[in-house]
Amino acid sequence: MQNLKTLAPLAWRNLWRNTRRTVITLIVVSVGLWSVLFFNSFLNAWGQAGKDAVLDLLIGQGQIHAQGYMDDPSIERLMRPPEGTFLEALEAGEIGAWSMRLQLPGVVVSEYKTLPVNMVGVDPAAERILSSIPEKIVKGRYLLDAHDSSVILGISLAERLKTGVGRRVILMSQNVAGALSEQSFDVVGIYDADKATEDYYAFTGLVAAQKFVGLDDEIAQITFTIPEEEALESTVARLALAAPDLDVRPWKQLSLFLATTDSFMQNFIYIWLAVVFSLMAIGIVNTQLMAVFERTHEFGLLRALGMKPRQVLVLVALESTFLIGFGVLLGVALAGMTIWALADGIDLSAFAAGLEMFQGGQVLYPQYDAQRFVVFSLLIWVLGILVALWPAWRAAKLSPIEAMRQVT
Amino acid sequence: MASPENAPFVTRRKAMSLFAGVSAAMVVGQPVLAQDAGGILRGAFDNWRADSSHAVVEMKIKRNSGTRSLTMESWTLGDKKALVRFTAPARDAGNATLQLGNATYVFNPKLNQVIKLPASAMTQSWMGSDFSYNDLSRSQKVVNDYTHRIIGSSRHAGKKVTIIESIPKRGKPIVWGKQILAVRSDGVLIQVEYFDQVGARVRVMKTDKVGRIGGRPYPMVLTMKTDAKPGQYTRITTKSAEFNLSIPAYVFTKSNLQNPR
Repeated sequence: MQNLKTLAPLAWRNLWRNTRRTVITLIVVSVGLWSVLFFNSFLNAWGQAGKDAVLDLLIGQGQIHAQGYMDDPSIERLMRPPEGTFLEALEAGEIGAWSMRLQLPGVVVSEYKTLPVNMVGVDPAAERILSSIPEKIVKGRYLLDAHDSSVILGISLAERLKTGVGRRVILMSQNVAGALSEQSFDVVGIYDADKATEDYYAFTGLVAAQKFVGLDDEIAQITFTIPEEEALESTVARLALAAPDLDVRPWKQLSLFLATTDSFMQNFIYIWLAVVFSLMAIGIVNTQLMAVFERTHEFGLLRALGMKPRQVLVLVALESTFLIGFGVLLGVALAGMTIWALADGIDLSAFAAGLEMFQGGQVLYPQYDAQRFVVFSLLIWVLGILVALWPAWRAAKLSPIEAMRQVT
Repeated sequence: MASPENAPFVTRRKAMSLFAGVSAAMVVGQPVLAQDAGGILRGAFDNWRADSSHAVVEMKIKRNSGTRSLTMESWTLGDKKALVRFTAPARDAGNATLQLGNATYVFNPKLNQVIKLPASAMTQSWMGSDFSYNDLSRSQKVVNDYTHRIIGSSRHAGKKVTIIESIPKRGKPIVWGKQILAVRSDGVLIQVEYFDQVGARVRVMKTDKVGRIGGRPYPMVLTMKTDAKPGQYTRITTKSAEFNLSIPAYVFTKSNLQNPR
């Protein structure tokens, strides 16, 4: 302890004997840490925005189907609208909104083309709360009610069909009798989402869709949203309990791609951390080794004056501790300021066309992630000290006579 | 069709059925007497197919990459049964299609398999060709599902031609905005134009040559052109035909489709 009291001021003063070198190391550490912390926030924001955008579009936080529907989405595997305790469970607190849908795989025919399509019968009132599609109408209007037997197409599909608002298309799908239903639908609206969605989904009223294929009130799915993400698992469990004969799934099981992307985004930062730290370690070791070599004569003298090797080691390690600690503080401050400066959001709409394929949101809101700020800072600090032990150990094992003989 | 080597058998199959429909559609046994538009068309389509027919037909498909010719033999009975079998070129010979009401079966000798086509596949545009299988197999729909009016007349080879505009009835599953048909006084369909819903012509089918065959005026050469593909067309030429003959029932069976007697 007494040692530290003596060595700490010594180490501190040593740091500033070569200001330029110290400042360079500080910059290396702080910029490295800044990049890790900022990237972490940025990636989180990106992941979140992308996830929200996709989930808001159609998937919701979770969906309920009849057993077996997910494996074979056919008209034989539908379910009744919710009632009784199941309905009560759906109306309960954590669920923000829910909506009944009927999905009918089929084809859409225009004067020029026949294309595969997934026709979705929806309840427009519920969709307006739950899905972002109603806000994405760029031409015409959205569906009026569940009886609305018009159709909404995506931009891309409408272009490929060479059709548009005010014209009609023929939709065909398997009906309850196992034969083919075909019906003329007026195109009343065009929506703008990502291309995959636009090409695949056409929307009409739920009742209109049921009539089209000869169903009474059967539906294919219930989509629900949960504003608080933390409540997702418990809610899914609660719904599964309320409807034991149905298949309740959270979004992670509905969109594997999204779940994988999400977990990749969560963990990519560690790859970045490893890369940055490798570079940082090279910088730290290099400068500290230089510092030790330059001061060989000095360390010899200290040893000759009676300093023990252990004390030399602690002295040099303390220097690194201060140096890297300072760099870490600076990096945290920089990252904090950057995030604060970008609190209004990063507008990526200039790159919208390119980003569409990632299904990302267009404005990102980086946020402080206190836990990771602390963890990453400590990690960099401790690892930095560890790699700096090597130069310190070199200094400690110098033989005083040889060291003093060496002229620097 | 652009590349015959790669042309899938479905395409060929469609070609065959298509031919059956077209050849039958063009046969009008009696002179048209009715003077209102619907009547003229109905008169034509009541005789949609002769009671039965047997014909040998050549189909020529012109593409930018080249021209391809196929020969086929067809049998029809009423408007529900049709069998078409390719006879040439050797590579395509043996491919056959059987239509029984709404069901369509395809036989491919290379697979040695009979396949029932899903109804949705029949609605697809005929790959690479100017014909769409859909409207040909259902061309009778134009009588019942459209409202007709006479919009003019002209002359063709010395005979009067009535020009009829047919607009789909509201709610009918028809993609066309309208069709304009030209029917000659002897009941031969001279031209059919298909328009999209904003009034642009999509394609046109023309009778290039009317001859007498099997004792009736008959469109010997028919050409279908898609306006978006200038320089390309599909032409159907009837080599020989006989009508109202008796065809044994076994002809229109799946077993005959696979193993012709």
